[in-house]
Amino acid sequence: MLSIRLPVRLSAGAALAGVLLFAGCARKGGCTGEHCGTLMIATAGEPDILLPPVSEASITRDVTEQLFLKLADLGMSGNTVGDEDFQPRLAERWEWDAPTTLVFHLDPRARWQDGRPVTAADVAFTYDAYTDATVASPFRPNLRQIAAVTTRDSLTVVFRFRQRYPEMFYDAVYQLRVLPSHLLRELPRDQWHSAAFGRAPVGDGPYRFVAWKAGESLELRADSTFFLGRPHIRRVIWRFTANPQASVRLLTAGDADAMEVLVTPDNVQLARADTLLTVYPYKGNVYGYLGFNLAAPGDSTKPHPLFGDRELRRALLMAVDRQGLLRNVWEDLAKVPPGPMSQLDWYWDPETRELPYDTAQAARRLARLGWTDSDGDGIRDRDGHPLAFRLLVPTSSGSRRQYARLLQEQYRTMGVDVQLDEVAYSLFIERAHTGLFDALLNGVSTDPTPASGIPQSWTRAGFGGSNYGRYENPGFERLVDHAIATANRAEAKRTWRAAIEVLNQDAPAVFLFAPRNFAAVDRRVTDVTIRPDSWLALLYTWRIPADRLTDRDRVEP
Amino acid sequence: MAVWLVRRLAASIAIVFAVITLTFFIVHLARGSPCGPSQEQPFPPEVCDTLIKQFGLDQPLSVQYVRYLGQLARGNLGRSFALHRPVADALADALPHTFVLALAALVIDFSLGLALGIYQAVRERRFADIALGNIALFINSMPTFWLGLVLLLVFAQRLHWFPPGSPSNPVLCPRLDSAYCVLDFLWHLALPALTLGLVGAAATARYQRTAMLEVIRQDYVRTARAKGLGERRVLLVHALRNALLPFITLFGLTFPFLLTGAVLVESVFSWPGMGRLAVDAIGQRDYPVVTAAALVASAMVVLGNLLADVMYVGADPRIRVPGA
Repeated sequence: MLSIRLPVRLSAGAALAGVLLFAGCARKGGCTGEHCGTLMIATAGEPDILLPPVSEASITRDVTEQLFLKLADLGMSGNTVGDEDFQPRLAERWEWDAPTTLVFHLDPRARWQDGRPVTAADVAFTYDAYTDATVASPFRPNLRQIAAVTTRDSLTVVFRFRQRYPEMFYDAVYQLRVLPSHLLRELPRDQWHSAAFGRAPVGDGPYRFVAWKAGESLELRADSTFFLGRPHIRRVIWRFTANPQASVRLLTAGDADAMEVLVTPDNVQLARADTLLTVYPYKGNVYGYLGFNLAAPGDSTKPHPLFGDRELRRALLMAVDRQGLLRNVWEDLAKVPPGPMSQLDWYWDPETRELPYDTAQAARRLARLGWTDSDGDGIRDRDGHPLAFRLLVPTSSGSRRQYARLLQEQYRTMGVDVQLDEVAYSLFIERAHTGLFDALLNGVSTDPTPASGIPQSWTRAGFGGSNYGRYENPGFERLVDHAIATANRAEAKRTWRAAIEVLNQDAPAVFLFAPRNFAAVDRRVTDVTIRPDSWLALLYTWRIPADRLTDRDRVEP
Repeated sequence: MAVWLVRRLAASIAIVFAVITLTFFIVHLARGSPCGPSQEQPFPPEVCDTLIKQFGLDQPLSVQYVRYLGQLARGNLGRSFALHRPVADALADALPHTFVLALAALVIDFSLGLALGIYQAVRERRFADIALGNIALFINSMPTFWLGLVLLLVFAQRLHWFPPGSPSNPVLCPRLDSAYCVLDFLWHLALPALTLGLVGAAATARYQRTAMLEVIRQDYVRTARAKGLGERRVLLVHALRNALLPFITLFGLTFPFLLTGAVLVESVFSWPGMGRLAVDAIGQRDYPVVTAAALVASAMVVLGNLLADVMYVGADPRIRVPGA
């Protein structure tokens, strides 16, 4: 009889393991001391291009944050009004020559990583690129209040504004990452979106670019000559995964040291139970809402047959148990926002007046509007039309899909029929932009200031943009303008609250969740400070003490 | 033979052309915008308008198609909207990963499938045959992504025998420049290749068992035994050679299956191949990448089949090429 042996022998496996072990030992040794350390960051997705004016993806920002400096940066307070809470970066100091003239003095020690000095001409060039329509920078609208940027000498640059307002300094520094004009001047502006520089950039930040393996990893190495101080961690490597769960697997297997957002309550529990990880909570910059389309789908000149009615929207808002939904989806990782705001937003005020959750009152209001279940099919109707609408949901968001199902059920008990349109994100955005929806479940990432996001999402200025539901109220817009123009922060907060209360009474949306973020970082990393608007902004201050170094930290590149 | 080969090549090119054309129109007609869907927030409308013009998407579809064909004729696959780089560069990065994965899976598929098929055939209707047949059926019924997740959970997350994804350790092995790094790469390759290869091996074993059973009942096998040849020689030299013919057909069918199966496996194991590239591109409405991925995939399928036909003609002298 023929006997056939298994093709894989255990002894071969043992030999392979032995060789790996031996070879692994051969790689040990190398760096010792305070400036060693390798931080591996697991992240779902990868940067698109490392050229700051062209991309606003958060993973791209995380990398370019280490490569390109701003003139000054936001402090831990997150205060965007005035300039008191900003920290010097490329500019060693600044002063106001006139109410609308801001003068920056660059730090003479600043150098590009190819050895050339950073000059005022670089700053002027950067402003010119960010505001050039051909470059098509998504940050261009944020810079519209700046009239001109000129140089006074090689280290002095002058910003002139169109008018005086409280967040002039923020606008001048927050989005602009200074670029090397000597390397980019010759690049035609219509080719910036595919510039080779964006895959091998030369910066002036604490880290320098080393390598980018598409779909796999990206490596930066500390610039030991960085003029603001040598970073403690020597190498930073991003490992790209296909989805957040794959990132969590890398993290818990010890193949990564850090992850920005653990996303789900299960992952947070998993990380908390891992003795090698520390979980860092910080304020999230996202809020989610159920938005009603106030205009007829496909014809923005007419009101929506249902949601054009303010009273109906108010009744539908009162029918939603937002706390209950929150517990179901987020457990204790999020809060119900008192308006269109994330936890990061400084104008969050729990005292803000909102419509209450009251199903009895909601039912009475619906009945008063003529919406009753006349045929006993469980769905309210009026003049032969059922109270029914379609809810647009992106398939890319697990939490929003959960919310959609729970909302569908809550509305069903109120006699409202909700059908779900679950579509790919690109289609979601297209339909939102073109107004082809009844209601949508949207998520919004906010800037540290409401001055840009609120007008874009909730006033006429956002028509054709992010104000998908075409909400408008002149009274609300006057209050928003007033809040933006108010220099005193306490007074501004009161004005923002008044504005949000007007919006809440109009019920253009049901504000559902504002999550808190949870980052996980390996315990051997110390001095971890997370600035909520950009979790790796202070990475250059993180440390791995010499007595906690592992083989991975010591290995010489 | 040469005329036949030229005809088959011409037909292959026509098929690939038809696939490109169909893909081009389907992806362009699909709803959704390529402007900024990879970002957390959609780009402002004025930025989108500029980008749409720069991408050439403001032109009529027929104009875009003619321009694309012109580009293609010059060997230019265009530029990716989402990746901000030439499509050819993105493919050059991704293709080797998919090929290596598919090849490793093919080796597992054919070696394991062949061995199991022969083993089952010589133990026909015995316990080992029935047990292995049921196991093979069970594995063959599993979706590849599910099997991948199970293997990940057991061998990476619980037992820590294998890494949980990606093709290499970026700290210890940024390049394949040592024996250690080659082994590290194989270690990372093991689970994704097993996932893809095991499902195929289960099917291959069933094919091979049937083919082997047919052959060992033939007169010439009986004659070989009657001549006093040992059982091992009868099976491995006389029977197996003829039982391998269906394998060639299977090869032509399996390679495209592995390429398409890799789409899901690459997502599960964060493997940076063609599959992940194509899936991401579809979500981002990155038309040039989607069309190029379809071009490469169809070319592989057509080439695989052509290769199988050529091998068949070479292996089986009874087959005559028309016109030869």
